[in-house]
Amino acid sequence: MPREADPSNNEREFVLSALRENVRLDGRAFDQFRDVDLAFGEEYGAADVRIGKTRVMVKISAEVVTPYADRKFDGIFTISTELSPIASPAFEVGRQDQTEILLSRLLEKTIRRSGALDTESLCIIAGQKCFHIRADVHVLDYDGNIADASCLALVAALMHFRRPDVEVHGEDVTVFGLREREPIKLQMQHQPFCITTSYFDGGEVMLHDASLLEEQCREGEVIISINRFGEVCQISKYGGPPIDGLSILTCTNMALEKAKMLDKVVKAKLEEDEKKRDKGGLMAELRADNEREQG
Amino acid sequence: MAITILAPAPAEAPRRTYHETDLDTYGEDEDEMEIDDLPSGHRRSTQVITPGQIVTDDPQWMRGHGTFAASDDASSAIRSTLAGTLQKTNKLLSVVPLRARYTPEIGDLVIGRIVEVQSRRWKVDVAAPLLANLLLSSINLPGGALRRRTSVDELNIRSFFGEGELLVAEVQSLFQDGSASLHTRSLKYGKLRNGHFMAVSGMGGGAGVVRSKRQIFTLQTARGGEVDVILGVNGYIWIAKHVEEKREEVGLNRLEETASQSMYSSQNDEISSETRREIARLAGCIRVLAEGSVKVEEDNLRRAYEASLELDEIEGEVRYLGGERGRNIVDMVLGG
Amino acid sequence: MPLDSSTYALAHLRVDGRRWKELRRIHGQMSTQAAADGSSYFEMGNTKIICTVLGPRQPTKSGGRDQSREAIIEVEIGVAGFSGMDRKKRSRNDKRTQEMQYTISSAFASTVFTSQYPHSTITIVLHVLSQDGALLAACINAATLALIDAGVPMQDYIAACTTGSTASYASNDEDADPLLDLNGMEELELPFLTMGTSGGEDKVNVLVMETRIQMPRLEAMVSVGLDGCKQVRNILDGIVREHGKKLLSSR
Repeated sequence: MPREADPSNNEREFVLSALRENVRLDGRAFDQFRDVDLAFGEEYGAADVRIGKTRVMVKISAEVVTPYADRKFDGIFTISTELSPIASPAFEVGRQDQTEILLSRLLEKTIRRSGALDTESLCIIAGQKCFHIRADVHVLDYDGNIADASCLALVAALMHFRRPDVEVHGEDVTVFGLREREPIKLQMQHQPFCITTSYFDGGEVMLHDASLLEEQCREGEVIISINRFGEVCQISKYGGPPIDGLSILTCTNMALEKAKMLDKVVKAKLEEDEKKRDKGGLMAELRADNEREQG
Repeated sequence: MAITILAPAPAEAPRRTYHETDLDTYGEDEDEMEIDDLPSGHRRSTQVITPGQIVTDDPQWMRGHGTFAASDDASSAIRSTLAGTLQKTNKLLSVVPLRARYTPEIGDLVIGRIVEVQSRRWKVDVAAPLLANLLLSSINLPGGALRRRTSVDELNIRSFFGEGELLVAEVQSLFQDGSASLHTRSLKYGKLRNGHFMAVSGMGGGAGVVRSKRQIFTLQTARGGEVDVILGVNGYIWIAKHVEEKREEVGLNRLEETASQSMYSSQNDEISSETRREIARLAGCIRVLAEGSVKVEEDNLRRAYEASLELDEIEGEVRYLGGERGRNIVDMVLGG
Repeated sequence: MPLDSSTYALAHLRVDGRRWKELRRIHGQMSTQAAADGSSYFEMGNTKIICTVLGPRQPTKSGGRDQSREAIIEVEIGVAGFSGMDRKKRSRNDKRTQEMQYTISSAFASTVFTSQYPHSTITIVLHVLSQDGALLAACINAATLALIDAGVPMQDYIAACTTGSTASYASNDEDADPLLDLNGMEELELPFLTMGTSGGEDKVNVLVMETRIQMPRLEAMVSVGLDGCKQVRNILDGIVREHGKKLLSSR
């Protein structure tokens, strides 16, 4: 497998000694994120997140299926991640690579296991029909910190998505198209965000939102998922050199601030998008005297 | 053999629970121990040292194998990286592991198995972390030691050693990364045949083969004639029928030639069933020694062999040396 | 053990009769398999694991010689079908297993002196015979013992345990107790984290949490976990010493 070439020893040493003097190569403060940009697509449930040069796109889709036999009252929610050569030549098509497995496990733990999406609300008829919500995470450009970017994109997309409305008459289910009835928002119980803290020199230097170069030079990372209420949904520090127990608690505190910041970004962008879409509701759109495009 | 089912052993008594107060019972005071009293050389202390333990913080000692200096300690502190015992060589402190994979040293007699044949060398498994090299130029070629190595020899490399074949060799030198380079330029060394291979765990561990004066010896067995035993330092052992070399009135040159004819043959000689039985008995003895954590060396093996014969006479012949019989043999070896 | 009546309250007993800061019975053996370079058997309550270490050795697979200057640590985890309450086959490609493998390998990569064995591989094979909570922690402890048995040089033990909190995330009650070393039943109900530390000095190597919990509660859990890891480390140390004494006395 072609691996991303490691930075040369000189380059690594340069980055590290700069960090020891409190300088990041791109001039950011240690806990500063690169510019976070969030855009929504034309359709519901498409979110495009850019953090610096890293870019992740998430698309949510829904279909009606039969629920699992052992979970009759729950809908189905799956997350699929794909790291393709689009993101970086280091990723190969069709081969699951370590980064991908860890990323998908991370999203799974952050969003699914923490119960961010209320799957019970996706049930239509118990044991017979339910919605299957599927999230496809595509990493389009890889310049470090894909965990935070993917999680942000996923949460934003879930909040943006509207599923079609349904009506149940006994055994009959009618699914209304987006034109027929106002689609319904997903029920989110909370919005967790992943915050990765990279550390150097046994925890002496802690960075947020590391770029690819910084990621290659780091000793290890602590990934914390937290929502704005201060509920920690997941922590993973997979091995790596040891750091103090206390610094992990510091990491969580800093992560909470960042999560609040990201939460605000998402809220603001959603509001903006809603205003743009709001043309006075379905009735207004269906009126005969629509504004004609000026030829 | 009858199969016995052992009664399940009762659960172990709960281990003493450790409280914060005695967190450091295994701490430093116990192992400040007798570094000063410990004699320099091959005697080791009998105290067990575990990874991460501070061996000493006295600045007069030097760090040897199995130790390191942690970055956050006082600069003179020496910590162990292994579970083992302390060995002192003048001012050098090293920790000898209780058990570890074999690490090659120059001059070791080892038994190896050919894993890979390359264009001018063989890769040999000698139970070390890395495969050993055997260069075409460091074997004796048929036709005299002074013969030139030609490209024909390179093409016929498999006619000397092929994959899976066993050989006995000596470690000639070590590479930077710790892998060994072997040679077989002596009549004692070369391909192995007519016998039985076995592996006991490498150095340390109480059991296994240790470096000793004689690693190759011939044993006069009761019924099966002479049997050769080769104890490789790497824990590999070869027990084979002794083949008398035909050395009638040999001149220097003749010797080379007679040796070379059978040297690279992979064909076994005729071995009588008595000899085979004795080889099996010796193998059993070695296994018993290894399982009883007794060093496998010439004296112990001879004693174990005598003991097995003796027990056969007293208690009747048992072919399988294990279980009760095995324990008896170990007791007799240790007892006298 | 005499009960400490001043703090003892019936309500504070856990399902298996332990108090909040008690470990389950821990039992370990070393050198259990003769064929491996190092091996161990480890029990943490009813979680039972066999670990074998192969290597350091040069991979004999064909292909280019691996030019890395450090040993690679490979981890394989086999979860037996009969290990859990319901018979379930967990495939090797299971993402959770792979995540655990990655965790263990990167944890040991930073404590084993891998640079002493260039171009070689150390394979840690873990067989889970029975699971009752603290799976990752037990795997780490078993691997530590087996690596020591194999004579692989390392900076220190990595000792691991789990901690939980009595309050589930839904309830907000303030007097939630941290719990040490959850068993399988408690793990299903309560939020918990697994941590592994090295040395006696609060150095956290591994910390994995998968359940939702209030942030203030984390602090208590981490500090109980650090203490638990110290206890586990002492037990592991005891096992190693006992094993060493046995070997030395038979010489």
